[in-house]
Formats: sequence, structure tokens, C-alpha cells
Amino acid sequence: MVEIVFLTPFITGLLAFVLPRTLGRQLLVLTGVVHLVLSLLLWKNKPDAFFTGYFSVTPEGMLSLLVISLLFFLISIYTKTYLEHSNLPSENIFTGFMLLFLSTMTMVTLSDHIMVLWIAIEATTLASAPLIYTHRSGASLEATWKYVLICSVGIAMALLGSLFLTLAMDMAKVDVPMSFSALTPVAELLDPLWLKAGFVFILVGYGTKMGLAPMHTWLPDAHSEAPSPASALLSGVLLNCAYLGIFKTNKIMVAAGLHDFSGTILIVFGLISILAAATFILKQNEYKRMLAYSSIENMGIIAFGTGIGGIGIYGAVICMIHHSLIKSSLFLSSGNILMGYKDRLIANTGNMAQHMPKTFVAFFAGFAGISGFPPFGIFIGELFIIVGAFRAGHYVAAGIFIASLCVIFAGFANQVMKICFDPSAAAAPEPARFSEKASLVWPQYILLLTSLILCFFIPDALYQTIVDAVNAIGGGLQ
Amino acid sequence: MILDTVDTLSSLVLLSVLFAFGSSRIPALIKVIAFQGVVVSIVPFFIGHDMGTGGMVFTAATLVIRGILIPLSLHIAIKKVAIQRDVSPVIGYHASIFCGLALIVAATVISRRLNIPSISDAQLLFPTAISLLVTGMFLLMARRNAIAMVIGYIMLENGIYLMGTTFSVRALHIVEFGILLDVLAGVMIMAIILQNIKQTFDDVDTTLLRTLKE
Repeated sequence: MVEIVFLTPFITGLLAFVLPRTLGRQLLVLTGVVHLVLSLLLWKNKPDAFFTGYFSVTPEGMLSLLVISLLFFLISIYTKTYLEHSNLPSENIFTGFMLLFLSTMTMVTLSDHIMVLWIAIEATTLASAPLIYTHRSGASLEATWKYVLICSVGIAMALLGSLFLTLAMDMAKVDVPMSFSALTPVAELLDPLWLKAGFVFILVGYGTKMGLAPMHTWLPDAHSEAPSPASALLSGVLLNCAYLGIFKTNKIMVAAGLHDFSGTILIVFGLISILAAATFILKQNEYKRMLAYSSIENMGIIAFGTGIGGIGIYGAVICMIHHSLIKSSLFLSSGNILMGYKDRLIANTGNMAQHMPKTFVAFFAGFAGISGFPPFGIFIGELFIIVGAFRAGHYVAAGIFIASLCVIFAGFANQVMKICFDPSAAAAPEPARFSEKASLVWPQYILLLTSLILCFFIPDALYQTIVDAVNAIGGGLQ
Repeated sequence: MILDTVDTLSSLVLLSVLFAFGSSRIPALIKVIAFQGVVVSIVPFFIGHDMGTGGMVFTAATLVIRGILIPLSLHIAIKKVAIQRDVSPVIGYHASIFCGLALIVAATVISRRLNIPSISDAQLLFPTAISLLVTGMFLLMARRNAIAMVIGYIMLENGIYLMGTTFSVRALHIVEFGILLDVLAGVMIMAIILQNIKQTFDDVDTTLLRTLKE
């Protein structure tokens, strides 16, 4: 019964709408625990789905599921305290949609049928739109409008892509169920023209959701307007879910021997995203938007690594896991900064090392991690991708990649230094205004620590799953 | 005879596409999508697919939603918020109509070359689907009025649906599945948002939604 993993948060999400608000907070944490336990059980037993053909347990799905579960558990602990500190209007709706969001994202990781995946990704948009609109201000409304409109067009493109996949089946007279697991073995028989068309539209569609440039314009607005726990979920998990859709479609492309075609497109989109992030991160004056652009950069890196192939795909998967861990910790820390300074502008923060030492440690370590410093995992992932790019002979692409990473690091570092050490801070937070409770910093520490440990020691089961996932799209450590 | 019906319907949709390019007023555009919604959802009946009961139910549901519910809710939306009835074009009407003509010609040429097997008898069906799709995209990009953008989005979906009916029963099932959920959800949320945009900004001109920008 695989389905229970996403049905549980669905039911508790509906419950949270009617429960009193304090009970809703408890329910959030409780669901986090239950979901984590269910995911671990799924890892241990690898059960069959009740609706086979629609849902299944795949290596890449299991990886994403575990990341989602761990992240949600830690974020829920943070959120509980966060909600006590900030007076959100209609908190029930917020907690309810957080849980529904978890449910839909879990469904994405477990879906096997092309249309079920599509419906699940569409549902993530629906469940997350109210989260972005939580603050009910003009700016949050604008962000929600952009998010819904751009992602709806994206999802429509993905539907068109799925339609072309059926056409590829009809043209070749292939009669199998429309699931990824059934299509991959017969991929060679499919009509290549329509398969390519399908891949392009699916990449553009899910790429919109994943935040690949030039379809990324909703992302900085949505991430900066949503409350920080929701931003952490959006950036840490939602983007991965959209990537999963591209990953699975790419699996069919690789099986059909069209990996050159799909690889080139992925490399181009990846590089455009990294370049766009490098351009915009330099002149950011809000820290949450800066983090959002860093997410676009990392999604670009992941797409680039997937396009490179070989060891690059392994690097991309490593980057995906560690980006989720580190970026969600950064967004949670940014929530603390917002609570402390009551301002989103970098200019109005400063000297955080002194005022909020615990948050500072989490934020600065997160910055080091996301910029690709050892000993955090993104360093290893990026190294693999660069090695893979040189091995595959993409010298120019690798050059652009490395140069952009340097620019992004410089821009990012400049802003982070201002936030952390600038002594001329206009409005220093008074300690009375914000106390760094343990539950507001420990989730970040645990996330960063997990990334640190995974860098040196990967459990065998996890390693094997990563290798299985990577092998399925023609990658590997060799 | 049956296929002639399909071509007649398609040509009417093509005319409405041209009309949408040149139209400056929201109520007229709402009538256009109501008409297109009805036509697009009855086309499967004339093609002679073996649909089955489930397919019939889906088609009927599409007819109700596309032809009645959505136009009605948009109509109520513009009544309630008493917005300006002008679509605020980014690209002028004459240029728009010219784009529309060029699009229809291009769509016809492309669909000839693609050589889709299933129902090549209904000559106009595939070009119409492409035209609807691209018109939707055009309205999304070239009109600033939020309701005009929603109308563009629905036109885009109509195009995808029509494309699904062109191919095969399996493709028809795909578009049925997705689009019902899509339309319902998308429009509901967009309508709520539009209401709120009205309250917050006093207008649905999306140029006012430009404070967050790069």
C-alpha cells in the first residue's frame, strides 16, 4: 500500500482546516513524524502499489520522497514555533495547505503513470498558491497571480507534451499502458519525431515549475512573498518534484537512444538558468530574493549535470539532495532574520553575527554550503559535473559554467557579508524583539549536519538507490 | 457528410479566432470562448471515435464547463468588479489581425507537412487546433487586461483539447483527464484572484502588478 504515504497528509490536511489553530500546529508536527516513519518503512519494505500502473516505487522517487519527508519533519518543528511568533491571518488555512502540499508532492514522487504525474504536479500548484498568498498584501497577491498564471501555462505545455507522447505511441502502433515503467522498455519502438516533440514540451512545461530560465520569472516573487517555512518547502522540495517529471521523461529519451538530443537541450536550459541567476543575483537588495535566484542557479546546475550525462548525472543527483537540505535551512534562517529585523531589504539588516549569533551560524554555514564549499555536498556534486563536462568534451559549456559559479559566489558573498558583519546597520534588532529559541535554529543545524555527514558517509542503501537512479538514465560513476 | 460538418465547425472556429485577434472588448471575447467551448467539445461526436459511456460523460462535462460555466463566471466577474471593458493591447488591433491571418496560413501549411495519420479527412481540424493554441498564447502575451489573459489561457486549453480529439481515442482520454481538472481549478483560482486584485488595486490592469520586477 504505497498510497498511504500521500493519503495520510491529505486527510490530516483536510482535518487542519476545521481544527482549532493550536491543535493544527500539533497536527503539523505529528504528520511530519508519521510521514517520515511511513517513508522509512517504504524504503525498508519497498511494497507494491495498490493501483499498479498508476503508482510505483522507483529509485529516483524514493530519493525525493526521503528528502521530502526529512525536510517536512524538520520544517514542521520550525513552523510550530514560527506560527507562535508571527500572527498569520487564518492560520488554519496555512497549516491545512502545508499538509495538502506535502500530500501532492509525495504523490509526484510515487506516480508512475504519465497522467497521474501530470495531475500531481498540477495539484502542487493548487496546494501551494494559497501558501504564497498567506500575507494577503498587494505584493503577495501579485506573486500568487504570476505563480498561478505562469505555472498554469507551463502545465498546459506539459499536457501537450504528454499528448505528443501518445501520438508517438500511436504512430508506432505501440500498445502499452501510458506509464513510465511500461514505456521505457519499448522506447526504441516509439516514433522518434513525436517523442522529441513530447520531450521538448514536457521540458518547457515542467521546467517552468522547476524554475529554469527563461520561464523562471514567477520564482523569485513567490519565494520572497511566501512565509519562510513555505518558501523552504517550495525551494527545497517543489522544484525537485518538477525535476522528477523531466528526469522520468528523460529516462524514456535515453532508452530510445535520443540522449544526445535531450542532453543538448538540458545543457542549454541549464546554462541559461545559471547565467540568468548570475546576472540577477549581483543586484539583489532583498535576501529572500537572493536565495530564490540561488535556487534558479542550482536548478540550472542540476539540469546541466543531467544533460552532460555519465558522471554528471551522478553529480546532479548529489546536488539535488544537498541543495534541498541546505537551501531549506537557508530559507528557515531567513525567516529568523525577517522576524528579527522586520525587514526584507539587505540594507536594513547587518551585524547579524552579534545580534543573532545562532542564526548567524546556520545562515553562514548554509551560504558556504550552497556556494559549493567543502565539506558540504554541493562541492562534490559540482566537481562531478565539471569532470563529467570535460570528459564529454563540452569545454565551452564547462567554461561558462565555472565562470558563472564564480560570479554567483562573488555576488552572494558580498550580500551575505553585509547581512552578517556590516556594523553600520541602521536598525539593529533589540534582543527583546526576537529570541532565538532552540526550535528556530536546531532544524537548520540538523539539515546542515545531514548534508555534512552525507558528504563523508553515505549509507549503503542510499548509495545503492542513487546509483540505481543514475544508471537508469545512462549515468554512472565510471 | 459527417466530415463536412467537422470542417464547417472548424472554419467557424477559425473565423472566431480572427475575431478574437481584432476584438477590443471583453464581453465580445467571452462570447467567443463560449462559442469555441461548445464547438470544441461537440467535435468528438462528429468524428466517429468509439468513445464509450465514460467518454460521453466526459464530453458532456466538457461541454457544460467550457460552453456554460466558464463564460458565465467570467461574465459575472466583469459585472461584479465593473472594470474597464477594454483589453489594453500591447500589440495594436490591426497588427493583431494581420498576425492572426499569418498564423492561420502557417498552421495550415504545417499541418499538411506533419502528415498526421488518424483523421486526415477532416482537413481543417488540425490547423484549427494549432491556431487556437497560438491565439491563446498571443492573447496571454499581447493583452494587459487580466481577464483577457484568462480568456487567452482558456483558448490555449481549447486548442489542446481539439488537438487531442484529432489524434485518437487514447489521446482524447488524455486531454479529457487533464483539462477538466485544469479548467476548473485554474479558473476558480483566477476568478478569486481577480476579485481580490480588484479590491486591492481597483482595476484588473496587470500593468499595476509591476511592483515586483527585475
